[in-house]
Amino acid sequence: MIKIAYLYPELLDLYGESGNIKALKYALEQKGITAEITNINYDTKLDLKSYDFVYLGSGEPSKLELVKTKLQKNKATIMEYINDNKIILVTGNALSLLDLLGYYEIEKQTAFKVADVIATTSLVPGNIYGFQNTSWLIKTLNSPLFKIDQGFGNNATEEEGFKFKNFYVTSLIGPILARNTNLTNYFVDLLISNSKK
Amino acid sequence: MKLIAIMVGKIMVIMGKILKRGSSFPGKYALRIDKNLFKHFKYPKIKIVVTGSSGKGSTSSLIANTLKVKGKVCHNSSGANIDWGVATTLLKYSNLFGKIKTKYLVMEIDERYMKKIIPYLKPNYIVITNLTKDQPPRQHYVDLVYEDIKKCLTPDSTIITNMDDPYLRNFAKDLPNKFVYYSILKNKYSYETQIFENLNIYHCPYCHHKLEYSYYNFETLGHYKCPNCSFKYEDAKYTGTNLDLEKKQLIINKEPLKIGGDMLYNAYNTIAAYACLQELNLTEKEIITSFNRLNDLPSKEFINKNKVFRAISCKAENATTYNQAIFKVYHDKNKKDIIIGWKEISRRYNHFDISWLYDIEFELLNDKSVNKIYACGIDASNIKQRLILSGIPENKIITSENLENIKEEVLKSKTSKVYGILNFDYVESFNNTFKKEEKSND
Repeated sequence: MIKIAYLYPELLDLYGESGNIKALKYALEQKGITAEITNINYDTKLDLKSYDFVYLGSGEPSKLELVKTKLQKNKATIMEYINDNKIILVTGNALSLLDLLGYYEIEKQTAFKVADVIATTSLVPGNIYGFQNTSWLIKTLNSPLFKIDQGFGNNATEEEGFKFKNFYVTSLIGPILARNTNLTNYFVDLLISNSKK
Repeated sequence: MKLIAIMVGKIMVIMGKILKRGSSFPGKYALRIDKNLFKHFKYPKIKIVVTGSSGKGSTSSLIANTLKVKGKVCHNSSGANIDWGVATTLLKYSNLFGKIKTKYLVMEIDERYMKKIIPYLKPNYIVITNLTKDQPPRQHYVDLVYEDIKKCLTPDSTIITNMDDPYLRNFAKDLPNKFVYYSILKNKYSYETQIFENLNIYHCPYCHHKLEYSYYNFETLGHYKCPNCSFKYEDAKYTGTNLDLEKKQLIINKEPLKIGGDMLYNAYNTIAAYACLQELNLTEKEIITSFNRLNDLPSKEFINKNKVFRAISCKAENATTYNQAIFKVYHDKNKKDIIIGWKEISRRYNHFDISWLYDIEFELLNDKSVNKIYACGIDASNIKQRLILSGIPENKIITSENLENIKEEVLKSKTSKVYGILNFDYVESFNNTFKKEEKSND
């Protein structure tokens, strides 16, 4: 069984982001793997040890602020989780949360970046389709996630997102896993191989 | 000199009338000549503005059409609710000197254009119907719309809004204005455990503790309280009881009132208009008589091949309007087929954002009373993907590029009811497709 932690769904629930969890659960079930989803609420203690996949999605700025304060207090827990090679996916403007770990820098945009996105990635063959509707983008240029054919990249380049170990960050919404089964299957395979270790 | 824009605009309105061409062009042109155009009109004494993510048109029409009995009303009845449209309406009703010679002014105004108009128009009453997720590529998120509206309101406007929605209480938290609330009390459609997800408020606006509800009417609407501070649902000045969507009526002050349709939003729009008119000192009898006439509308259902067909009009990119449609279908336990689709997502821009599909609670359609779901139109495959991820068995979902291709199958299906959960641009196609009489002799 794969255990998925959906962080603060009642605060980070802009732009249909729960669709990512639904897509991942469905893809796992198609392979006969049970997925247990745990909604981590704001008033519960953040303990990631037992999870295989952690997800953070877009939220309104006021809510991101609340979550960021919470995450700041749990920095060590999150870094330990990442260093264990476990998976965290961060989408949309939630990218403005985990810069606190110090792996990447972010940049506030003067105007909202709104665009249809077509991209590719070294992780899987085929295109990645998504959407951007954000006032935050990643500034850091090393270790990007996507090559952008259409849309906005990090620091006005054609590369977008950030990856370190199994910590994946992108400004794309979609929901990207619901719109890109190639990417979802990448995470499914990764979860299967992680579970065998 | 300040009247030049009004004079030019006015002449364009008159020319448009002669040429029988109505549009928002005079307002657009006059605003180009003078961006402070709204400052130069002489407005009537009684000014009412209706804004919100949805329900502006119906609510303002009920108010305007009821007030007509009392005196002339300047109203943007065509629904042209951004700055050009509002300016064109004002030009139509004004003389060459910008004086609007009506007793009342009733304007529905797009929530993002309030800031351009309100500081000049200075309404006595502002009705805020709701603020929900809507057109994300344009609106981005609800707090932004809230801030936009909040900033432009002047303290002498009375704000009329919905007590059932804790999000709308933010206005009273942040503003010194006088507030008048309306509410629809617990009814046969209310529920105790939340059935919707991805909503715009879960926590107390004051202390951020999770709100507790004794019942929900729909999404975040209901009877709420904060377990940590004194924030809670308060008794509203105007309350509707015994909501009956099948009978299309609500009871206000022991009197039955027609709500003009079988959807929950019909009831909320009606009570919002009722509250506003009572504040304007119209008598209960005057309002009820008017509403029962204005809201006496024909049924949107029709019968073909012994099946009841019903198109429910929604707004693409607005999950709440789709959730209302789904909430309606969810309460109907008859065996049914459902058609979901649209011609296009937005007329305003070319973006292809389907994230809002994942804010809609399609999970509620995963029920044995649902026979088939037809995903139709240009985004059929995306609708299908969404339905699959709702847990609906794949063999129940059929995709089609258009309605014509599924017509025969739907007409032959052994269900008693067919619902269309459609963007407003697909309602006519639905009705035309399924209303058509067969040419055979049977």
